[in-house]
Amino acid sequence: MRRILIVGAGQAGLQLALGLQGRGYDVTLMSHRSPDEIRSGRVMSTQVMFHTALQHERGLGLHFWEDRAPRIERLGVSMAGTVAGRPGVRRVVDWAGRLDRCAQSVDQRLKMAGWLETFSERGGRVVVHGVAVSDLDFLAHRYDLVVIAAGKGELASLFARDPARSPYTAPQRCLALAYVHGLGPRPEHPEYDAVRCNFVPGVGELWVIPAFTASGRADILFWEGLPGGPLDVFRRAEDPGEHLARTLELMERFTPWEYGRATAVELTDAQATLTGRYTPAVREPVGVLPSGVPVLGAGDAVVLNDPVAAQGANSAAKCAAVYLAAITERGDAPFDAAWMRATFARWWAGARHATKWTNLMLGPLPVHVRDVLGAAAGLQPVADRFANGFDDPADFDEWFYDAAKAGHYVARARRPSTTRS
Amino acid sequence: MDYAGSDTTTGPEADHQGPRSWQTDRSRAPAVTKIVIAGGFGVGKTTFVGSVSEITPLRTEAVMTEAGEAVDDFEAVPDKDTTTVAMDFGRITLESDLVLYLFGTPGQKRFWFMWDDLVRGAIGAVVLVDTRRLEDCFPALDYFESGGLPYIVAVNHFEGTARYEPEVVREALSLPAQVPVLVMDARKRITVVDTLLTLVGRALEITPGRL
Amino acid sequence: MTAAPVISAVGPVARAAAPGRRTARVRPYSLTGGRTRFGHVLLVETFVAASADPDEEPAPAPGGLAARVMPEVRAIVGLCRRLRSVAEVSALLKMPLGVVRVLLGDLADQGRIRVYGTGDATGRPDRALLERVQSGLRRL
Repeated sequence: MRRILIVGAGQAGLQLALGLQGRGYDVTLMSHRSPDEIRSGRVMSTQVMFHTALQHERGLGLHFWEDRAPRIERLGVSMAGTVAGRPGVRRVVDWAGRLDRCAQSVDQRLKMAGWLETFSERGGRVVVHGVAVSDLDFLAHRYDLVVIAAGKGELASLFARDPARSPYTAPQRCLALAYVHGLGPRPEHPEYDAVRCNFVPGVGELWVIPAFTASGRADILFWEGLPGGPLDVFRRAEDPGEHLARTLELMERFTPWEYGRATAVELTDAQATLTGRYTPAVREPVGVLPSGVPVLGAGDAVVLNDPVAAQGANSAAKCAAVYLAAITERGDAPFDAAWMRATFARWWAGARHATKWTNLMLGPLPVHVRDVLGAAAGLQPVADRFANGFDDPADFDEWFYDAAKAGHYVARARRPSTTRS
Repeated sequence: MDYAGSDTTTGPEADHQGPRSWQTDRSRAPAVTKIVIAGGFGVGKTTFVGSVSEITPLRTEAVMTEAGEAVDDFEAVPDKDTTTVAMDFGRITLESDLVLYLFGTPGQKRFWFMWDDLVRGAIGAVVLVDTRRLEDCFPALDYFESGGLPYIVAVNHFEGTARYEPEVVREALSLPAQVPVLVMDARKRITVVDTLLTLVGRALEITPGRL
Repeated sequence: MTAAPVISAVGPVARAAAPGRRTARVRPYSLTGGRTRFGHVLLVETFVAASADPDEEPAPAPGGLAARVMPEVRAIVGLCRRLRSVAEVSALLKMPLGVVRVLLGDLADQGRIRVYGTGDATGRPDRALLERVQSGLRRL
């Protein structure tokens, strides 16, 4: 039986560990926290999972919270602006595209703690330990394969940044999120749940994400601010109450339409807020330990996108699915560095679209993109196609990035007789 | 490494009184708990531990990548080489069936992953401070404040340096009123014991009683 | 750091041990009374000791991790003739803490090492324990 060591108990590490376990591999998983510590710890992410990623979880029977988590049926876009002659900030763009299949967001504290316990109950070995390079150096050649899925932890620096694929040398957003109960339904569409991105040009974005946490249905209020701008006001380790108050003040100022339904919210728990910032990076997929043994990077450890396009958890789930297939197809052949590079390349073939899409969202939106977002208000097929691009960002290549293609697509959509191909 | 060749029967550790009775009875283990001693480089953690330990302090080392600025769930990881982190610890047999460990841990924020490991189940932490380098203890204070672990501040007074009153240090560190601050000498066993007692007292204050 | 080419140590060593089928795994927490759903959390101060006299140890089953780390495993079992804390095993054998945790977990699964007092060990000490520590320190 092949022995595999996985470091990191997040979406990529645990999904891969459980997948391999189900196929009879002998998997050891190292996590720096126990399930109870994860469950009672700070929120980690916003983790909107779209259909393709959810299908990977369903395929492994890991969709434990599906019946309880809100069904996100649409993806909404609003854009803040001013209208000549009228006071205040308004919605100059506001629509919701239909997702072909619903999305969901399950608090990773629940999900990772539950998956870790499941892995353990099924006979997997979990070693609770903050892994250092010296641990790996000793252990690596005693396993057939070592996968590092330790997200943004210090082990990520085993993997050299790939400058050709990493355009940024500094954080592009400051991040501040809060899980709340009591957010009112959107008055425009109380009958369905939507995840919504509110663009505030030159300032940042507010994502509002229906989610499921330990205390039930919740919503995540997630500000993504340009560094140095008016949203860059969240201090580290801030009092959670102050964090929420600040979140709401900013909503009142920049997205008053969202603030209107947020006046009665309260934090889901004492650990429901998170702030920070990081530099997006794509790294070399193979790290080499001091002893010379190669290790394979997975998920955020090697492809770290800003969360502005909600691709992180999706990309990690796709990574775990690709790696699982590649490992099982490998049979008894060695997991050498060449195989590792080829395996990463299989994932990157899709992941590069998520990175490209995320990086477009990070920059100032090109004029034609703003035109498309504006046109989608009256053209449901355009809105729908945009929404489904979050599930499959490769589709944006087909119509969205190139101004001429986008213009052509929108023009065709305007013709009443033409339906979306 | 030649593990098989080491003298593993008695173990190479130096116990001032030879093996304790509990060490040789494998049918049961004593109750065990620990206290974390955190502070900057050269602040006297190992001296502190050595002053009360019944064994010559032992050391475990970890090689880690050189992730300069700290890492939490949302922070960046720069690319650099590796560095070795040492953790020194000692042991006190308080009763025949009660053992206390003291773990000294480096104070830099980037060793957070070792702190998580150490504070799991700990009574609390002594943050050891050198008044000449106050800022070295800031990350440790931030960590213990946000983690809810009982902690106290112990100023290790070095001979020939200015002696500050605890209240001055409290103010300089913006410590909440309820966090004990004391001035001690890590070389002197009695002041180290007093420091530990102060921490245990603090832990008792914030540990709920039996219902 | 740049990615280096294939290192020959990985393949052959790994493959040599791969064919053996593992015997049925002992659930980790069965050794500590099954008090937790999760099994051992080996704290740095957790005590461990050899279950039997190490001289009477049977040869390890082929295929498991133990078969690949014989000298280290023998050193751990030998050291654990006496009660040791996890940190002591790491320091005395100059073995990284994470490695010690992995190997001890393996040995506990095989029943060769006994882990003492795990369960809800990740919580804070209760008042009774704190009071005992307090009296103990006062007697020093």
